[in-house]
Amino acid sequence: MATTEPRPTRTENGTAGATQKRYRTLAVVKQEAVTRVEKQLEDSVFVWPHLLVREFLAAMLMTMVLTVTSLAIDAPLRDHSNPNLTPNPAKAPWYFLGLQEILHYFPPTVAGVLIPGFVLVGLALLPYIDRNPSRAFEDRKLSITVFTIFAVFFAIATLAGSFFRGSGWQWIWPWQGVFFDL
Amino acid sequence: MSTMNRGLLDRVWNSVTESQIWRSIFRHGYPDTPLNQSLVMMGNVFLHLHPVKVSRKAMKVTYTWCLGGLSFFLFLVLTITGVFLMFYFVPEQSVAYTDIQQINSAIIFGKLVRNMHRWSAHLMVVTVTLHMVRVFYHGAYKPPREFNWVIGVVLFLTTLLLSFTGYLLPWDQIGYWAITVGSNMASYAPLLGAQVHNVLAGQPVGVGQPTLIRFYTLHVIGLPLVGAVLMAVHFWRIRKDGGEAGPPPPSKREIEAARAEQAAGAQPTPAGSLN
Repeated sequence: MATTEPRPTRTENGTAGATQKRYRTLAVVKQEAVTRVEKQLEDSVFVWPHLLVREFLAAMLMTMVLTVTSLAIDAPLRDHSNPNLTPNPAKAPWYFLGLQEILHYFPPTVAGVLIPGFVLVGLALLPYIDRNPSRAFEDRKLSITVFTIFAVFFAIATLAGSFFRGSGWQWIWPWQGVFFDL
Repeated sequence: MSTMNRGLLDRVWNSVTESQIWRSIFRHGYPDTPLNQSLVMMGNVFLHLHPVKVSRKAMKVTYTWCLGGLSFFLFLVLTITGVFLMFYFVPEQSVAYTDIQQINSAIIFGKLVRNMHRWSAHLMVVTVTLHMVRVFYHGAYKPPREFNWVIGVVLFLTTLLLSFTGYLLPWDQIGYWAITVGSNMASYAPLLGAQVHNVLAGQPVGVGQPTLIRFYTLHVIGLPLVGAVLMAVHFWRIRKDGGEAGPPPPSKREIEAARAEQAAGAQPTPAGSLN
């Protein structure tokens, strides 16, 4: 573990002995790193340039996509807000429309507070609930199935709330009219 | 002619890179040797978030899809475009809407920048979500990366709140009613519903000027600060928890099969092998 600095022996007049060596901790090397000599060297490459080139290209591509999209499509701006004129339907931002869809079936405390609360807390606790150490798909059938069911359920609820709900939150097909703002 | 030009260019290049100013900024030569490729990563405050070397498998674009990096890049784009919008936007309910109209029509590049801000924000919600989904399917939240996953969940919530608070600011019918629907949800919180709504909206019922200033302040400084600090921890912990997780290792069955095969191969062949 760490190299500790030996307490310098002091001569009678209080100065450290001239021959005394001083040590400083430069690094703490964990036992594992010292002993696991047979561990194979990973197939690794220098970050400069290999990773940085990829990151740069991804950032440039994203910049181009954003610029072209922003030149082509304008951000929506509807009429000035009017507290006396409730749009029908009044929709939350798209990422909450799954919850708003669930609100159609459950009381507000359940759909608006308890479900999102449990989802967030459950997600945060996931690594402590899923104790299976293996990362291979084959060994994780249960956790992958459960997560996929939840993800698909939320995706469907969000799509339904976004494109299949009209005035009075009535079911409406997209070709009959779309009530959706970004 | 060309050799003379090259000689001149070389001399100019050398005199620049050997000047005291250049050498005070860059402590190493151009990163085309292993030493300089290491020094550039360790000596640059922005690059030192990365290790010097990275596993070839973990770096593959088809493994990460760049989703975490793109989320961070979108955060930077949103910060830059957001500062630009702040020059022109006043969070006061009688002028907020007309300020947006001015940005759209009277400010040079105003419309482009506002469009970029809007689309980046929506896209960031998408990339952060997909990043989480990707990390889940690769099992990259497992030890030793459990706590970085927790930070990631909080960052996901921060992203949603940033988007949600920004949604109100144009003060048009979309934002006003989306936030009314959203903040009404908060009133249904068990026991503390009314108080939660009051803290969020700044008034007991509906959405008004107190809501606008709260959402504005949270949007431009509060939540970005929380996000920036958590991102710093998130990136730092990637390194401290052993770098990118990389593609999942073989399953138990595959490991056992390989071990059985090895054992079979290592066993001395029985009788008859003596000839």
